[in-house]
Amino acid sequence: MRALVAAAIGLAAALAVVFALAAMGSPSGSTSPKPLLTTVPGHP
Amino acid sequence: MRRKAGLILLALAVFFTALSPLLRWYVFPRVAKVPANQYQTMVLQAKNATLLDYSTMTSRTVPEVTVVQTLKGNVEAARKAGRTAGRDVVVWDGLSYAQGPNGEMVSSFPERYIFDAHSQEPVHVTGESVDGDPVQRHGIEFKWPFLTQKRDYEYFDAQARVTAPIHYKGTRNFRGLTVYYFEQTIPWTKVPYPRVMPVKGLTREWVAKTGTARWYTTVRRFWVEPVTGAPVYGEEIHREELRGGTLLGGRAKVTAFAGHVKMREDYIRSTVALVKHNRLPILLLTSYLPWGFLALGVCLLALSLCLEARGRRPDGPAPTETAEPEPVTA
Repeated sequence: MRALVAAAIGLAAALAVVFALAAMGSPSGSTSPKPLLTTVPGHP
Repeated sequence: MRRKAGLILLALAVFFTALSPLLRWYVFPRVAKVPANQYQTMVLQAKNATLLDYSTMTSRTVPEVTVVQTLKGNVEAARKAGRTAGRDVVVWDGLSYAQGPNGEMVSSFPERYIFDAHSQEPVHVTGESVDGDPVQRHGIEFKWPFLTQKRDYEYFDAQARVTAPIHYKGTRNFRGLTVYYFEQTIPWTKVPYPRVMPVKGLTREWVAKTGTARWYTTVRRFWVEPVTGAPVYGEEIHREELRGGTLLGGRAKVTAFAGHVKMREDYIRSTVALVKHNRLPILLLTSYLPWGFLALGVCLLALSLCLEARGRRPDGPAPTETAEPEPVTA
């Protein structure tokens, strides 16, 4: 019975971690102010 | 005490073992995404290219034609498109700007590409366009999906506005990276004139009225890093002709452009460095952490079982009773 409880705690913690990671997602930021180029840049 | 430690180890073993598939199959598709605010430029060159001189309507060889390609993530448009589509979407406003050896504009070709941030599948919402014309793309463009497979993909050709297979032609090594080589051939196809013509005052409507048509063919080659799906090198054998009509002074056809367009060396180096850097987070989620956590989970489980077994074993042999010697009477 104790082993089952320990396994359940481990599983719940794993689920909590992945849900938190997935919920955080990736920041979208804002659109770059740089223009669409019509001149040849000197370097990348 | 041993039993308590065994239970803690068991909980940790389940934690890490469960994390292994969850990271790969649940977290990775939700976290690995093309950033909505990406901005990137690329410079390609065609040495000794053939170019049409519109003043004489004859083809000539020029030392170099340079193509500057910009892709700019439009975050506001992506949010709006994402709300409509119900998923994370990326909107790329792109411009392919070609210029001749003296800096004169050869072509200016804008497009808006809207796609799923994880799978790279095109998303059809208002605004998707090529050179100002609304289109519905099928297949990929510019980038392959994460974890690219060794198979043919459908690739959208913006000039011809058609989708055609791009064939997987083998695995190669490109500057220390394992890459998949893809190739697509677009046969001679009649294509619309660009909205912005290289000569001022010339409009595509006027040219179209002359009956002269624009035809195009290309062989497109990409060397794609399969973990990120990013092309690290690309080139195109591109040909354009004007055919028929009254514009050519009785000639059947004239070459408008012909050249072998290749990425500029400094851009190749920077792309390879960027892709090498971007591989790590993807590999962590799809390979390093899942396999590492699985191995750790198995080790912890074994340790926990070992502790449990030792906890149940008796401490040592029971002491044997020794009978006291009875006094002997003489």
